This record gives sequence, structure tokens and C-alpha cells, in this order.
Amino acid sequence: MSRGGLFTVGRSRRPVTATLILGSIILLAFLVIGLVPGFFAPYDPIEFNYDTLLSPPSAEHPFGTDNYGRDIFSRVVWGTRVDLQIALSGTVIPIVLGTIVGAIVGYVGGWAEFFFGRIVDIVVAFPFLVLVIAIIAVLGPGLFNMYIAVSVVGWVAYARLMRSEVQIQKEMDYAAAGRGMGYGAPRIIFRHLLPNAITPVVIYWMTDMALVILLGSSLGYLGLGAQPPTPEWGVLIANGKNFMATAWWISTFPGIAIIVVGVGFSLVGDGIADLIRPSG
Amino acid sequence: MNTITSPDTLLEVRDLRVRFATANGSAAAVDGASFDIRRREVLGIVGESGSGKSVTLRSILRLSAIGGEVSGSVIWAGRDLMSLSEREMRTIRGREISMIFQEPMTALNPVLTVGEQIRDNLEEHTTLNAEQRRQRAVELLELVGIADPDKRIHDYPHEFSGGMRQRVMIAIALASSPKLLLADEPTTALDVTIQDQVLKLILRLRDELDMGVILVTHDLGVVAQTCDRVVVMYAGRVVESGPVVDVFARPQHAYTLGLLNSVPLAHKSKKTLQPIPGTPPDIGDRPPGCPFAPRCSFATDECDSQPPMKQVSEDHRAACWHHEKVAEGSRAA
Amino acid sequence: MDDPDNPLLQVSGIHKSFPMPMSILARVRGRERAAVKALRGVTFSVRRGETLGIVGESGCGKSTLARALVRLLTIDDGRIIFDGDDVLSLKGADLRQYNRRVQLVFQDPFSSLNPRMTVGQTLREALAVHNICAPSSIPQRIADLLVLVGLPRDAADRFPFEFSGGQRQRIGIARALSVEPECLIADEIVSALDVSIQAQIINLLMDLQARLKLTLIFVSHDLRVVRYVSHRVAVMYLGKIVEIGETENLFRQPIHPYTSALLAAAPDLDPAKKSTVDAVQGELPSALNVPMGCSFHPRCPKAVDLCRTHAPAEIQTAEGHNAACHLPNTYP
Repeated sequence: MSRGGLFTVGRSRRPVTATLILGSIILLAFLVIGLVPGFFAPYDPIEFNYDTLLSPPSAEHPFGTDNYGRDIFSRVVWGTRVDLQIALSGTVIPIVLGTIVGAIVGYVGGWAEFFFGRIVDIVVAFPFLVLVIAIIAVLGPGLFNMYIAVSVVGWVAYARLMRSEVQIQKEMDYAAAGRGMGYGAPRIIFRHLLPNAITPVVIYWMTDMALVILLGSSLGYLGLGAQPPTPEWGVLIANGKNFMATAWWISTFPGIAIIVVGVGFSLVGDGIADLIRPSG
Repeated sequence: MNTITSPDTLLEVRDLRVRFATANGSAAAVDGASFDIRRREVLGIVGESGSGKSVTLRSILRLSAIGGEVSGSVIWAGRDLMSLSEREMRTIRGREISMIFQEPMTALNPVLTVGEQIRDNLEEHTTLNAEQRRQRAVELLELVGIADPDKRIHDYPHEFSGGMRQRVMIAIALASSPKLLLADEPTTALDVTIQDQVLKLILRLRDELDMGVILVTHDLGVVAQTCDRVVVMYAGRVVESGPVVDVFARPQHAYTLGLLNSVPLAHKSKKTLQPIPGTPPDIGDRPPGCPFAPRCSFATDECDSQPPMKQVSEDHRAACWHHEKVAEGSRAA
Repeated sequence: MDDPDNPLLQVSGIHKSFPMPMSILARVRGRERAAVKALRGVTFSVRRGETLGIVGESGCGKSTLARALVRLLTIDDGRIIFDGDDVLSLKGADLRQYNRRVQLVFQDPFSSLNPRMTVGQTLREALAVHNICAPSSIPQRIADLLVLVGLPRDAADRFPFEFSGGQRQRIGIARALSVEPECLIADEIVSALDVSIQAQIINLLMDLQARLKLTLIFVSHDLRVVRYVSHRVAVMYLGKIVEIGETENLFRQPIHPYTSALLAAAPDLDPAKKSTVDAVQGELPSALNVPMGCSFHPRCPKAVDLCRTHAPAEIQTAEGHNAACHLPNTYP
């Protein structure tokens, strides 16, 4: 017997699109780099080398070196791990918490809906970045505190999505059939409604991961996220900001890495959207 | 093909074929349909899902969904509609031949008043001036049985009930006095008592305006009560055609017999329903030969080749190798 | 069949309204809140083993009634007694037990099945939650159910989208039967199907009823089908039962003018019997604006002043052939 759940791909005649394949290749490449950066980075990312300060891209240093002689290519490679961690850690609590809260609120409605609505109003009243920075200002800079801040603010978007979807699904006849069968609310919410409602949430998660990397990089640039010497792409860009005219390569290559990863997540998100939409 | 074209014939459809591109290549929604309609006659086209009845109707006015290839001929007033340009077709649509649809809410424009929609038709197809158009709109609403027509021409579609909206759609369709009305399941979405009103309205209008009507439906009761002649379609082909009284009393195609046996007959004793086993074939999936053979209790090896349309009696035709056995089967029932 | 004095299901005085949202301005002005009065006092009973047909047009409340009977929605007033138990006061395990004994089969075969669960998973869940049989016997039970409703054996591993409308309806029936109910409520289960498939499902249903000794409440707008399957029929109009009686009595000699109109409006299959007169005048009123007095009076050919002011007495018993009308049709 086959598993149902999210991926009822098996017998639907939906082709796996080029979008999905391309996006997956990109992400897979970055994942591999992130897992074994030592294999790909020719140099130690934090070792200074006063002989090769600010040298442009060349055969020995494909991305050039920075003002401490550190090889940019190796720093970007090692930064991959950090940024992918940011993508995951910055979204895992939001998606889990948001899904559960959203599903319950969507199903129960009433007072839960009322309280949830007020929380949403509060969170939405502030620009996302401002709120995150404010929380970091209280907790202090650093990646871990950044994860806390992002989680506290970010779960709301997932919960809203989930709530709307659940509200739609619970009006469907199969949900009524479940109640008519005497199934309790937990079973109906988590076994029946959730798998059918989660599609937009998963797609949102893909784009959110790209956005969280950007956020991490922005905060890193501001000095509020990853702290030196951690090679995070935003930090790398910040390091090069005084050298934009003379040593453009310091900021540019980490920037390109961010873009490519973002595109990868985007493509995978689109591809998955096509794939896990239920047929019929 | 033997055809009887009487001088009263309004429209002749010959060998109509409509193909669509599907995931598995090109498939025929309509696979060679031929029939006539005469003046003042209500012709029913009856069939189930996948029979091609709606596509056939829309193809008459060349309104089939985009991406369809249409071939065959549709002769109206001496011209083949298939060979006309789009511009020429627009003079036919809404003026000489009009169409009404199943869902009045989507067929009517929700942001225009009813009066405006009638007058659109009149502006397009007649040379009446503004005041004459307004008057004609009021007349039309009255014709279709809407009370207070001079007030109601200013109302929007959502201010009418389902049955009323259907009447409005009929009014729009009749604005330019067409000679032929095409009705695609016009009452399927309506309640029984309202369906009754709308069908009787159509019949009255047919008499008063001297029109022909082609009515597509899946409901055999509607066919019995409204239609003079009927065309039965299955899997894109016409399987039987003839006067309703004859076809219902002595069906000559196994599918027609099966359909009649599938409906609980109120006036006969409670004999067991004899449903047709299996399901109609998918659009791309039709067997060669007679499309009904896989489900047919009369089928033999002969049925692997497509049966020709046989003339069973003066106006009654059926495409069945075993039509005599079928006719006997119905008599025994 | 049961003793008529001890019916399996007894329903009395069911009222249900769906209030419309009201603007603050209207509230301040003290306007009464508009409501869709779906059920306005429904009373009937069903004997064990019989089929009661409930027939009516849009807005009559028949689907609301079907859902109320399985407690998919809460009613405002009334009582439902099933096999001696007060259904409305059931909770927890008792309610689940009731849900087992009375099953609803839905109209739309497309939306009433979870698209992400295979047929087997859907049936397994029902069997497991209600402890119908030992876990090891579940696969066999599923196979038996599929055979019972005429589905191929490999259906268990497939998803709803792989089946046709008629087959999906069979799956819905299989799900309802998996918990071994005593009473089945079929809410327009054949309306969305082609004629030839309808006939298959009707035959299936009647066969199952005979074999499993089910009590059946068959809700439909299709008079022909209702006449074919039912022992007794109740006709609903705007939230009330206007006539109830044995099928053939009701169809041959309808007492209520609405029933006569309904029968006249339904197209007869005999082409020789054509009529040109409208069966009934006027539009279907909305349940938001139920007419005063007898709700049918605006369209009734026989209406007199009494009908406009006084609602006729509700049908109190299910025995014999009754209609709620001041001027019922009489037959010599």
C-alpha cells in the first residue's frame, strides 16, 4: 500500500518540470558544498596572508583575496554552511509552530480566532526587520539570538496561511464525512485537513528560506547577525564595502552566491507547487 | 448518406467532426454527427457525459473551445457556416441563430443591467434608434413573462432569481428575432417547477415567433415533454434519430434502449432497473467500430466495424447492426 | 418491519435558522436580524427497514435536515430520538456510537473523499476508529467491502482522482457501510451522476438495503427516483413537511397543492402526455423571506384569505397520508 500524505505524485501523470530539476540541482550543489566545505575550499578561510592582500581574481584565487589576504572563494565556500544553517534554523520553528497554531485556530475559530487575530495585528503593525532588530537589540547580536528573533516574529505568517487553508478545507465534504464518522477534532485536523492544507505553506517555506538568508546577510552586514570571524555571506559583503571601487570582488562574489541560492529556492518552490497540488 | 431534406429544413449538419488536442494526442469530441432541424420544430440532442452533445451545439455557431479543429458542413439558408469568415459569423450569431446556456449567472454580464444587455444585442444587429431599443427591451421582458418589465430593465442579473435569469437570457437571445434558438441544457440547473415554466415558455415562444429550437439535455423526461424529434448521441456519434414518439416507443439502438431502461418509469410497475453496465469511454479512448459495443448486450463480432446509419422507417434512423433485435427487446419490456 | 408505534427514528419539531450578518447600523436601529429559516418545525418518523424518501426543491431544507440528523450541525429546537436514545444529548463515546449507527452519504462524490488518502486508507481509518474488527482482519474486511459495492479489488491502493463519479459514489457508500450502520441517509447521492450510472447506484443501494436490512432515508429532488426506491415519501417546502404518506398513495392522489404541482411539473417520460400549462406560477421564495400564513399561498391556485393569515396545522403523526393544508385535495 502506498503512502498518501503530501506526495501523491506516484500515479498522477504530472511531469517533473525543468524548473524543479534546475532548482534542485542548484540547491543540491550548495548542500554538498555546505556539508563538506573542506573538500571544496583550497584555503583556510580565516587565515591571514599578508603576501596576497587585495589581489584580483586569478588562477590561485578564483574569487580574489580581501584586505587580510584571505581567499574569497574559500570564505564563500565556508559561508555556504553558515547561510544554509540560517535558512533552516530561521524557518524551522516558524513553520512547525505556525502550522500547528494555524491549523488549530482555523478549525476552532471563535475565541481562538479572536486572540490570534489580535496577535497578527500587533506583529503586522511593525515592519518585520524593525521588530527583529529590536529583539536582537535586547538579546544581543549573534546568530543564535537572530534565530530567536526571527522565530518570534516569523511564525505568524505561516500561521495565517495555514489558518486560511484550514478554514477552506474544513468546509469540504470529506471533513464533514469525517465528523459524520464520529472522528474527533485532533484526528480531523491533523490527519485530514493538514495534509490538504499544507501545500501553500510548503511553497511559502521555500521562498521564506531565501528571504531568511537575505535577512541573515542584512543583519550580518549591520553587524547584528553572524559575528566575525564567521564567514557569513552578509558579513563578507560588509567587509568589502570600503573597497567597492578598488577591490570589487570582495563583496561581489558573496552577493552572487546569495542570489544563486535564492533563485534555487524559488525554482524548487515553483516546482514543488506543481508537483504536490492534488489532482482531480 | 440518405438524407431527407424537406423544404422546411432550417439547418443541415453533415459529418461534423471536432477534434481537440489532449495529453495523449488529438481526440475526437464529435466524430461525425449529421442531423437536420426543421422550421417550428424542437429537436432534442440527448446524451450523457462525453457524448459530445454540447460541443456539437456550440460548433454550429463555431463557438467550440479554442484549440478545436472543426470539419464538416453546417448549411444555413443556403450557406455553409463552416466556410464563413469570423465577421460574417458575427452577423449570424445573436441575430439569425441565438444561443442560451446552462448557467445564467455566468452567461449574463454581472456589471451590466438587463436592459443594457438586451440593447447591446439590438445595437449590434438592428437599426433601431435608442427609444425604439428601450421599447423593444421592455417588450421582450414582457414576452418572457417578467412582471413590471419597464422597472426591471434597470435591474442587474443578481437581482433576479435563477429562473428569472434564464428568462432574461432568453429575452436577450430573442432580441433580434432569430429563426433558430440553440439551448444548451437550459434547465439543468433549475428546480423542477421552474424548469417546467421555462420549458413551456420556450415552447410558447417557438409557436409565437415561428422558430426552430435545438435543445441539448441529458434528461429523457425533458425530451419527451418538449421535443418533436430527438437525436441520441454516444461517444461523439449520433446513434439514433427520429420522432420522439417513435424513438421512445421502439428504440432501434441498444444504447437508446439502455437509457430508457435506466430511468425508473413511474407509470410502469416497479420492475427492476436495468442499468447499462460499465461507464462511457473517455474522449481519447474509444474503441474502433461501434463505440457502444463494450457495454452492449446485443453485441457480436460484427460490431467491431462501425455500423452504418440505417433508415428504419420514414424519419427514424439508427446506427446498429442489431436494430431489429433491439426493437423486439423494447416491445417485450 | 417494526411496530409503527415504536419507530427506529423519531424526529419532532426541528427548527434551524442560519442568521445573516447584520450591519451595526441595522442593529442600532433595532431591526430584527435576518435569518435563513432552513427548518421551521419538521416532524416525522421512520420505521426500521423502511425507506423514507424526502423530496423538495431548493431551499426546502432537506439537506439541512440530513445533516442535522447526523449532528453535523446544531439545531435550534426539537428532538431526535433514535432507538430510544435522545440523540441531541449524546456526547463523547455515545455520540461516536450514534455516528456509527447512522451514516450520511454525501452528494458530491468528488469532494466527499479525502484526496490525499487512498481508498484503503479511508476505509481502514473508519474500521480502526470504531473497532469494527481485529486489526489483523482489516485487510480482508476492506476487500469484502469493495466487492460488496462492486469495485475492483485493486481499488484499495488507488486515490479518489483515479475513479469516475459513479465509482467514487460507490467508495462513499463503502465507507458508510464499513462501520455497519443500521440507518443510511443518502443526500442526493445520484444527482451528480449520468442516468445510466444513476441506475447502477440505485440498484446497488436497494440490493444492499435488502441484504443488510438497512433503514434508508433517501433525500432527492428527483421524483421518479424517489418514487422508485421509497416506501413512504415526505414532501418538503420552505422548511416544513407539507405532505407525507405511502408512496403510491401520495403519487396517485396527492393531497397538498404543492405536491400536485410538483408532480405536474416533473416531465413525464411518455411523449404522448404533453401539457402546455405551467404546473405552478411564481418563483421559489427564498428562505430568508418566508411568506406569512401558509408558506405556499403566494403560488397556490387554491389560496384563500385563511391561507394568507394562518399557517395550517403541522403534521403530527407519520401514520397514513397527511398534508398540512387548509384546503386539501380530496378524492372520492
